[in-house]
Amino acid sequence: MFKNIYAWLDERLGFDDLYKGLLDRPEPHGNWWNTLGSASLFLFIMQGATGIFLTVYYTPSPDHAYDSIQYIMNGVAFGWLIRGIHHWGASLMVLVVFIHMLRTFFSASYKYPRELTWIIGSFLFLLTLGMGFTGYLLPFNQRAYWATVVATNIGGVVPGVGPFILRALRGGADVSALTLSRFFSAHIWMLPAALAALIGVHLYLIMRHGESAYPDADD
Amino acid sequence: MNDEHKKKVNQKYEEQLQKGERFWPDAIYKDLLVSFALFILLIGLATFVGVHPEPKVDPTDATYVPRPEWYFLFLFEFLKYFPGALEWVGAAVIPGILVVALMFLPLYDKNPFRHNSKRIFAVGLMSVIFSGIVTLTLMAATTMSSLVAVILGVLVAALMFFSLYKEVSFLQGGIRKSVLWVMTIAIVGIVGVSYQQTAAMASDEEEVHIASSIAEKMVLGQDLYSIQCVECHGADGEGGEITITAADGSEEKLPVKSISSNDEMYTRNDGSLFDIIAYGQPNLGMPPFGGAYGGELNPSEIEYIVTFMRYTWDDRAEVPADAVASAIPVLAEGEVPSYEIHVSAVAKRYCVSCHRDGKENNDYIMDSYAGVVSGGKNAPNVVAGDLNSILLQTIQGTELTGSDGEIIHVMPPNGKPIKDEYIDIFIRWVEAGMPESADEAAALSVDFAPADEAEPVVEETPSE
Repeated sequence: MFKNIYAWLDERLGFDDLYKGLLDRPEPHGNWWNTLGSASLFLFIMQGATGIFLTVYYTPSPDHAYDSIQYIMNGVAFGWLIRGIHHWGASLMVLVVFIHMLRTFFSASYKYPRELTWIIGSFLFLLTLGMGFTGYLLPFNQRAYWATVVATNIGGVVPGVGPFILRALRGGADVSALTLSRFFSAHIWMLPAALAALIGVHLYLIMRHGESAYPDADD
Repeated sequence: MNDEHKKKVNQKYEEQLQKGERFWPDAIYKDLLVSFALFILLIGLATFVGVHPEPKVDPTDATYVPRPEWYFLFLFEFLKYFPGALEWVGAAVIPGILVVALMFLPLYDKNPFRHNSKRIFAVGLMSVIFSGIVTLTLMAATTMSSLVAVILGVLVAALMFFSLYKEVSFLQGGIRKSVLWVMTIAIVGIVGVSYQQTAAMASDEEEVHIASSIAEKMVLGQDLYSIQCVECHGADGEGGEITITAADGSEEKLPVKSISSNDEMYTRNDGSLFDIIAYGQPNLGMPPFGGAYGGELNPSEIEYIVTFMRYTWDDRAEVPADAVASAIPVLAEGEVPSYEIHVSAVAKRYCVSCHRDGKENNDYIMDSYAGVVSGGKNAPNVVAGDLNSILLQTIQGTELTGSDGEIIHVMPPNGKPIKDEYIDIFIRWVEAGMPESADEAAALSVDFAPADEAEPVVEETPSE
């Protein structure tokens, strides 16, 4: 019976081809450092899942952001856990992505034929930092507010385009409700969408070229 | 890069695939293991470390020292070296160049070799940059001196460098291993010590109270109410009368209506209470309390006061079970009150509003045990075992004459005596010898030892 169901599904979905194409691939001998890419992906998924739960209760307005997070922490069942994971996951993701990048650099895996994988990867790193930057404001507490004031001020010191950058980031002259809604929409839509798309390209390139081999003395 | 080299690379890769492993299950189990370990780590961090609570936004508080997320700290530290007009070089130009350089690395790194021994420049440069990032982060995040931070940064980079470079000629076998171990232990040691120092310094800093539950908000709000509001509004929000001195020196008496009545509680929501406290009521003689309008309260503190008012006076509010702690504890029959549990709670609520620094109170500051027992111009205002102590007489409605001939008024001065049960707390406390801690009081509950150091009520002790 199950065999029949499996055969029927396989005929239409192609499990065997998927297995051969995705999982049963040959690979050079890897080491533990090579797990950091998949760990980054795992953390991205964790951040996505916990982030989606957080949006259920979070309100991106200056009047309610702080209180809605207080409610998540104290009122919602396991809200503290979801927020705790999201909070620490952000730090951990930056760390893991950064070490993954260092590993790629030191094993020179970015060289032919994986140049594009590196370039996409460096965009992913910048987007991850962008997620950290925009997410930092969302709790709208003292720390978040003042860090964003200072950080956006730094954007404003660039000669010429500085004032434009400042206004574009803040949505006005000051850090306000507009800044919060901008950062919120960047944090939950623009940056994650860009991240997800680029992760797709990154993964495609990895499958196309295979995992790089650790260089030996001849390389 | 020529075609011949590309062919060589591809050929080599094919060979490595031949003697390699399968993605499933050889490689993926490592991936899953690492991801699972991270998952456990995250749950551990969320459960046992949690998220540090921060106060609500207060845009008027310019004294707040902002701190970015730790992974941006190195950039902030770096910016300190580019003061004034040069700031944009440190803020935009150098990071910009580094980011572009990082991004397009494969396009200009034409070195065809991949092994570290054949790309000394690239590995060396990255180690220097990494060392710089570590050093700057340490300088920003800890209290360690710059020198220690630099040494640590170099150590970390060197450790990384040497663990990658297996072929350094003078570092082989046992020497190599011991060098790596010594470096690792040194790093862990220095980080540990500096973390301890930083933590010790952080705990010295003034701790900000952040309430998470309604009960905590009520406690904090009650303390704030006692200090900021009781003088005019009364300990139970009953109101009274205030005297306003106009610019021309004339005095005017204004009534203060009750703020704890149902009328008040039913017609004002939390938002309007918040606004009134923040803006004040200039026409009615109430000054603004919000930091934005020249007061001394931040938004969180005003919110605590509002929470305290709502849950204490609004008969529609359902007080959470754990909020009982905020009430003044009731004294059981035969129980001896202590300063710690009972007297301080009553004093906080009914006395400290005036009997604190900067108020007219004959220097009788009631916010500590020592202050209550031995403070004041007419000290001692209270003597163990003496039921004619100044404090006990004034709260029971007797006006006295102090040592300097001045009248000591009935307390509290608004003419509304504190509740009998609170007067009873004071009397029983003095009777039992004014125990400070709950333990002392408990010991006294068993046998009533009369105080032996009873002294005259009003002593000739002129004090400042």
